[in-house]
Amino acid sequence: MTDLSRRGFLHGALIGGGALTLAVSCGGGNSGATRIRHADQTGELVANLYITVMPDGRISLIVNKAEMGQGVTTAYATLAAEELGVPIDRVDVHYADSHPEMRTSFNMQLTGGSTSTKEGFTAVRQAAAAAREMLIAAAAAAWKVPASECRVEDGFVLHGSSKAGYGELTKQAAHERVPGKPRLKTPKEFKLIGKTDRRVDARAKSTGTAMFGIDVSVPNMVHAVAIHGPVFGARPDKVTADAARKRPGVIDVIPFRWGVAVVAEKYWQALAASRDVQVTWTKGDVAGLDTAVMQQAMRAYEDSGTSVVDEGNAGKAIGRAQTKISGVYEAPYLAHAPMEPQNATVSVTGKKAEVWAPNQSPTMVQALVGNAIGIAADDVLVHTTLSGGGFGRRAFADVCAQAAQVARHVKRPVKLVWSRESDMTQAFYRPLYAIKFDGGVADGQITGARMHCISQSIAMSSKEFLGAALAGVPSAIKPMFINSLLAMFSTNTVGDLFATEGLKGTPYKLKNLEVTASPVQTKLPVATWRSVGNSVTGFAMESFIDECAHAAKQDPLALRKQLLSKDTRQTRVLEALAALSKWGEPPPKGIGRGLARHFCFETEVAEVAEVELVDDRIKVRRVYCVVDCGIAVNPDVIRSQLEGAIIFGLSAALDQEITLVDGVVQQTNFDTFPPLRMFEAPEIIIQILDSDHEPTGVGEPGLPPIAPAVANAVFALTGVRLRKMPLQKAWNERGAK
Amino acid sequence: MKLVVNGKSIEVAVPADTPLLWVLREEAGLTGTKFGCGKALCGACTVHVDGKPKRSCVTAVGDIGDQPITTIEGLSTAAALHPVQQAWIEENVPQCGYCQSGQIMSAVVLLRAKPKPTDAEIDDAMSANLCRCGTYPRIRKAVHRAAELMSGAPAAPATPPAAPPAPKPAAAPAPTTGGKP
Repeated sequence: MTDLSRRGFLHGALIGGGALTLAVSCGGGNSGATRIRHADQTGELVANLYITVMPDGRISLIVNKAEMGQGVTTAYATLAAEELGVPIDRVDVHYADSHPEMRTSFNMQLTGGSTSTKEGFTAVRQAAAAAREMLIAAAAAAWKVPASECRVEDGFVLHGSSKAGYGELTKQAAHERVPGKPRLKTPKEFKLIGKTDRRVDARAKSTGTAMFGIDVSVPNMVHAVAIHGPVFGARPDKVTADAARKRPGVIDVIPFRWGVAVVAEKYWQALAASRDVQVTWTKGDVAGLDTAVMQQAMRAYEDSGTSVVDEGNAGKAIGRAQTKISGVYEAPYLAHAPMEPQNATVSVTGKKAEVWAPNQSPTMVQALVGNAIGIAADDVLVHTTLSGGGFGRRAFADVCAQAAQVARHVKRPVKLVWSRESDMTQAFYRPLYAIKFDGGVADGQITGARMHCISQSIAMSSKEFLGAALAGVPSAIKPMFINSLLAMFSTNTVGDLFATEGLKGTPYKLKNLEVTASPVQTKLPVATWRSVGNSVTGFAMESFIDECAHAAKQDPLALRKQLLSKDTRQTRVLEALAALSKWGEPPPKGIGRGLARHFCFETEVAEVAEVELVDDRIKVRRVYCVVDCGIAVNPDVIRSQLEGAIIFGLSAALDQEITLVDGVVQQTNFDTFPPLRMFEAPEIIIQILDSDHEPTGVGEPGLPPIAPAVANAVFALTGVRLRKMPLQKAWNERGAK
Repeated sequence: MKLVVNGKSIEVAVPADTPLLWVLREEAGLTGTKFGCGKALCGACTVHVDGKPKRSCVTAVGDIGDQPITTIEGLSTAAALHPVQQAWIEENVPQCGYCQSGQIMSAVVLLRAKPKPTDAEIDDAMSANLCRCGTYPRIRKAVHRAAELMSGAPAAPATPPAAPPAPKPAAAPAPTTGGKP
């Protein structure tokens, strides 16, 4: 266990900020003085950097994560409540403002990479356990009994007939020594972890009282509608807005770098006036870009790319195989399209800015806003609100930069809310992919495999992203650092890790495996999208294994088991899935069954999809899903994340794509970028395997297996191999060339 | 103009073509109703107008007249949650929660018309409400649970999987539309 010495604790853990940010005293090496002074003044005990025990006995927890629906607030409340022996609804979770000490993920303050529960699992419990021991010490001292004879229950410290509520003990407890190694409960002692199934946010989100970014209100605030150009990156050239300016409530019509803002006292006034604004635009960053042309070029690309994996000799092994297969797996650009459109509220005062926004990375917001209005990133204070979905999009909260430019101009706090059309057309997409592959099969086995991943680099797509990720690098050398990294990506000296993740380090024991990568360069920004590269590499690998199984006349599950090390998380999950889905029994007539598995974010997930064709529509009627994600902190939250990842992934697998014709995005709203609706949502049956290792990722790993499971099921049902997403379109165009 | 919102009469000074959504959010201060698409495609802005579900983002406020409006805030009383809300909490329906006000408003109307809906009837009534988090399986369960809570009866067995419903366009049209988008 991490030593809870001040330095070790600070270094290894999430750090709470807020009212009494102890960051001040961290550097000084003695937080005691600050802690005690605070407790003396307010009666609060800040036992360490996360947790405040309030005088009313409530527990306040400050986390450096954002709640996007993934349940991090419930998870952290559970971890804290477990060690403090209180019900989870006695814990109030707050989101930390931007602060250097909060940068615990990839050197950023970031919610992403399915890391939150893993990061918090030990740290939050340690913090809560330290608070518990200090409360016990305070009570024991008052009662003149050994601390070891005291226990806690439901927010009280107990000894014989003595009983004291946590709230009564905070002042005294603040003077107790912070324990270096508080005792954590063993899994057998858990009363909440693995058992509690209530979400702390369910009530607010069922009564309309939950406050999202779009609901933010700050004094003197005005509202803005953004008009964006038809082509990404287009700048406003000529703006005609005389009529709009005369509309009631309109304050100004302001051209900014990426568009035109109509600013009014009320949003509805800005919305009405925006129809009276005429804009001519510059050509834009991606004028002429055509995804059909790009896809053709990617398929035809012959260079072998930068080597990422080179095990054995794949070329030779494939060359001498009896059966050879080859082709291209393809995936389109995809929008995240969270239900809450991008929005931000920004106030600019002199060289400082304050931001309230649904975002996944305050560090990134600081960088974007700083760049947009020419102030230091550290002079941007970011408050994180609830997010109406994120899925990776809100790590690139460019709307904050736009709101900042408008706010600087109008000299009042501005809330900028994008239209759905802006949300969908203003880029930051999952990259377009082509994975060219070939493989050989002989004697029922795969002899070798080659995969060449051609896609746009996410890291290269955003200087700000790199800048934010390098937050600790001294500013004098940072630009040089960023430029050299960009140069390495763009020359393919270094392959983008996202492009091949999921293939590199595959648990399959393929003796001859070659993975290479080539970057595609466009000026259309791309971003992390739920499960990132895995959303495509999983489709490629699991379709490939299925193709090989059929070529080798092997059962797809049996072949996978042969390729995986015995008695691992992978095989245990597969075996459980076989039992759950009754894999050994033939499916009912008219039903095709497909299997896929994938390991990412340190979590293994395998899924079986049952598919039928109804009037040429691929209909997924049932999905079986087995996961090993370590200790399940909140099993029902995990189930909901898997359900969500499957349905989100199914929308993309079946129907969604972002295409461009002459630089113009063709999909603008939910009619042309259709998410799955209720009547097509499959029945989903989930099993979480028991585990005693620490929690691993949950938000994303459920997604990669669903597309290949469906494609494999379509093949099982029809003998038609769909290698291109969206699969429904590929089905409709099958046979056509 | 006068509006009756959640049983209270309010006076608003807005043009008649203003979308009801923004009148509720900005003039009545009721932010539980959400903006999602602006085109009656997602259902996040669903409210009740005279007891019927309306997409408030495309409903001109001038078309409402004296018909009573109910929003998510008007569903429960200080003393008690609406059974649909209760069921939503019991089944842990919300993830991000952004679409759930609209989902709940649609479910309330469904249960008023069909106190014991089948899965197919739930699909029919709820398919105009989008959820990007994928809470659909839980919404189905929660609607059944709400039906139980409202009838006061013990748990009925879950409806068996329904026959495949007739194919629908990918974007189911909203049941009602008011003014222009």
